Amino acid sequence: MDPSLTEVLQFDEHQLRTRLAFFRIGEEELDRLAAMRPLMEEATAQIVSLFYEHLLSQPETRDFLDDPVLVDRLQAKQTAYFLQLFEGRVDLAYVENRFRVGAAHERLGVPPRWYIGAFDRYLGLVRERLIGRGVAGAELVADLAAVERIMHFDAALAIDAYVAGHLATHARNQAALRELASPVIRVHDRVLLLPLVGTIDSFRAQQVMESALLGVSEEQARVLILDIAGVAVVDTQVADHLLKTTAALRLLGAKTILTGISPQVARTIVELGVDLKTLHTRNKLSDGLELALSLVGREITDKERGS
Amino acid sequence: MTVLVSERLTIAVEGDVPVVRRRARELAQAAHFDAFASAAITTAASELSRNALVHGGGGYAVVEHVSDGLREGLRLVFVDEGPGILDIDRALRGGYSTGRSLGLGLSGSRRLVDEFHVETSLGKGTRVEVVKWARFRR
Ligand SMILES: Nc1ncnc2c1ncn2[C@@H]1O[C@H](COP(=O)(O)OP(=O)(O)OP(=O)(O)O)[C@@H](O)[C@H]1O
Ligand SMILES: [Mg+2]
Repeated sequence: MDPSLTEVLQFDEHQLRTRLAFFRIGEEELDRLAAMRPLMEEATAQIVSLFYEHLLSQPETRDFLDDPVLVDRLQAKQTAYFLQLFEGRVDLAYVENRFRVGAAHERLGVPPRWYIGAFDRYLGLVRERLIGRGVAGAELVADLAAVERIMHFDAALAIDAYVAGHLATHARNQAALRELASPVIRVHDRVLLLPLVGTIDSFRAQQVMESALLGVSEEQARVLILDIAGVAVVDTQVADHLLKTTAALRLLGAKTILTGISPQVARTIVELGVDLKTLHTRNKLSDGLELALSLVGREITDKERGS
Repeated sequence: MTVLVSERLTIAVEGDVPVVRRRARELAQAAHFDAFASAAITTAASELSRNALVHGGGGYAVVEHVSDGLREGLRLVFVDEGPGILDIDRALRGGYSTGRSLGLGLSGSRRLVDEFHVETSLGKGTRVEVVKWARFRR
């Protein structure tokens, strides 16, 4: 079972109270909603079917609802959802339910604007019922206000779930991208290549160091080529990480070759006063590769014809 | 000195450092910096914004494209309200770090730019202002 969304979103009793106060939902509103329940129970079937009629008549939403089995299932859920509005009780279980509805819509890829639009249709249908009931004046106004408030309260929870869903997706993508960004490539027996690209923040630097160490240990590598051609700025922090990675690799018995240093980066490193003497450095990756092979006792030679 | 573009950027989290750096690089391009000068000012931006963040507890940067009538340049100001630099002479000499770092950011930045001013006051904060000019007038 997934952790509850109220936990994930840190929605507790205190939050619930402040949120209800913000939407001006108190005892009176809840009592009014509960009192409407018999009327709404009677009307649910019709309201839900009119609601779906609306969704199916709109090109935007129709495409999502092309499966009749799905529509049947959704209608059943919708009925339960709708009647819960008139429970006269809003507790954390209620909030959890609303979060789940929002999250389910987010996963289906239903954009929030449809959600809001559909809500408005609901509100309209309920309003018609209440007006048709024959109670007018202040009573009617107060009942309508109670319905509007609980529905807006619901919409806010759904939006919370949407935002949380998006953030979670974003975090997952970021993590995937980061993994992708430190690939250790085996270029030859006991020679590894780790190309660095983009911004090396402290998190990335950590990761680079770890992939380098794991790679070297797994492959029993003797040489690791760190190519920094794709790193825009080599400042003291990046330089410090390069030095630390080199020192750690040395403990595993591997040498580090730094390649891809542009003329601008070379000049900047010297001005900064950073000493990279402990590293073998080469301008081009191909030169670094040649050096790496010679360090493991191999060399690249021209193929001699006819021998 | 005429200010052509001036922007204030917040330095509050690690992710703000590359933002300042990127903006400095863009303005260096606008000011016709050559590749070496651009790398120099971008690196200084990186060092000084990280110092404001790490040692100064965060603050802001003002990034400006300026001109003195003859040349175009960049003026960068980094301001924080942190503890101030304890031993400014040692910090400027280089190789001195209160963290576990190389201790080359401040002294190195000074060498990377044309004008460099630090104002620091213990318990009040630090303000570092640097200017770098494009080398060739276009
Ligand atoms: N904005 C600041 N506020 C307070 N102290 C600072 C500030 N900037 C620099 N310092 C002090 O000056 C020292 C030297 O700064 P410098 O940038 O040269 O080195 P560093 O940041 O420690 O290491 P790095 O080489 O990674 O930059 C720092 O360790 C710190 O004590
Ligand atoms: Mg520094």
